[in-house]
Amino acid sequence: MQKIPLMLATAGMVLARDVFRNDSPTGMPICGKETVLTDALIARLDHLDVQSIYVDGHPLNQDGERKLEDLLRDLDHRFEKVRQDPLTSKLYDIYADYLKRSMGE
Amino acid sequence: MPITLSVPWENELDDKRSELKKIIMDTRTLPTLPGVINKLNTLAEDARASVQEMAKIVSSDQVLSARILRLANSPSYGFYRVSTISNAMILLGVNVVKSLALSSSIFEIMEKNSVGLWEHSMGVGVAANMIARKLALPECEEIATAGLLHDIGKVIISLKCSDAEKRILSIVRNQEKYMIEAELEVIDTDHAEVGGWLAKSWFLPDKLSEPIAFHHDVTRSVNHRIKTAVVHIADVLVKASGFGDSGDSYVPPIQKAAWDMLKLNDELLADLVDELEDKLVEVRNFSIEMQG
Ligand SMILES: [Fe+2]
Ligand SMILES: [Fe+2]
Repeated sequence: MQKIPLMLATAGMVLARDVFRNDSPTGMPICGKETVLTDALIARLDHLDVQSIYVDGHPLNQDGERKLEDLLRDLDHRFEKVRQDPLTSKLYDIYADYLKRSMGE
Repeated sequence: MPITLSVPWENELDDKRSELKKIIMDTRTLPTLPGVINKLNTLAEDARASVQEMAKIVSSDQVLSARILRLANSPSYGFYRVSTISNAMILLGVNVVKSLALSSSIFEIMEKNSVGLWEHSMGVGVAANMIARKLALPECEEIATAGLLHDIGKVIISLKCSDAEKRILSIVRNQEKYMIEAELEVIDTDHAEVGGWLAKSWFLPDKLSEPIAFHHDVTRSVNHRIKTAVVHIADVLVKASGFGDSGDSYVPPIQKAAWDMLKLNDELLADLVDELEDKLVEVRNFSIEMQG
């Protein structure tokens, strides 16, 4: 199960929890769990000002959830042709540093 | 069986290149060129024509206006809620609106078939605008537009030579080459040159066509080297970030000429990276919204 912003919901995702109206989380659910999302349904939820939903599985791979080592490995791959280049390797160092800082290290 | 002495591959290369150029220079085979553009071109030559008059012509085509406004409201420009064409013309300039009008049908195709390239292009538009502002350069909007359009040659190659595009992409994957190297191998030209042909056939001004044609070789730019350098650096930054998908995943080398021309230094580069990473989140959201 993953909590995702409604904006990132796509048709085909399956609700893992009931969805309630934003202003009355204890009232009747708008939409029950196990419902398969459709574009029309997402539009309706958006119209009702629902901000986020819980869906089955782990469909979104957000950067915040990826491990620093994975991000650094991807960075190495992207820079593999220019690591010896004096100017571009500066950019590599800046990005490596940025990733470490943004991952809280 | 007679043995042919000519090398068919060589001929194929020549044919391909001239055929490609012919196709691209022939505006009739391009995705629908809006009729209002011709009117706009004639009017733009007339120094007395007012922005209002030009806006009226564009506004007469509702579909086109909607597309232009959508692009004008994209994060590449950083203005939000540009609600009328005449506002867009005042805020972005007539040149920018004209090039957006020209590109809108191509963007339409890009958005549907190649979200990765669309995101890369939007990212480079945003980055180019950001660099231009940071360096206090004139005509930031034109630079943003050049960034947005810089890889438009790739869309044309994909549209007009989809077989060649497949071969190019398979070379990129299997031989781990830069896209531009693979393009040279397969079509004897590259997306920058193709984009330049397109810009010429659309009569885009040099300040847009040069960054498009020379973003991989800044020193070839004659009249707008600074704008070209900005687009080059913006492209490198977006590739470094890993944002979008422009065909290959390899960061191209920063050209010394561009670095010197913009008087970049380590500190400035670090600031640009920080700022860009923030802005790219916005681009991602915009892109998701557009597809939703
Ligand atoms: Fe390019
Ligand atoms: Fe690019």
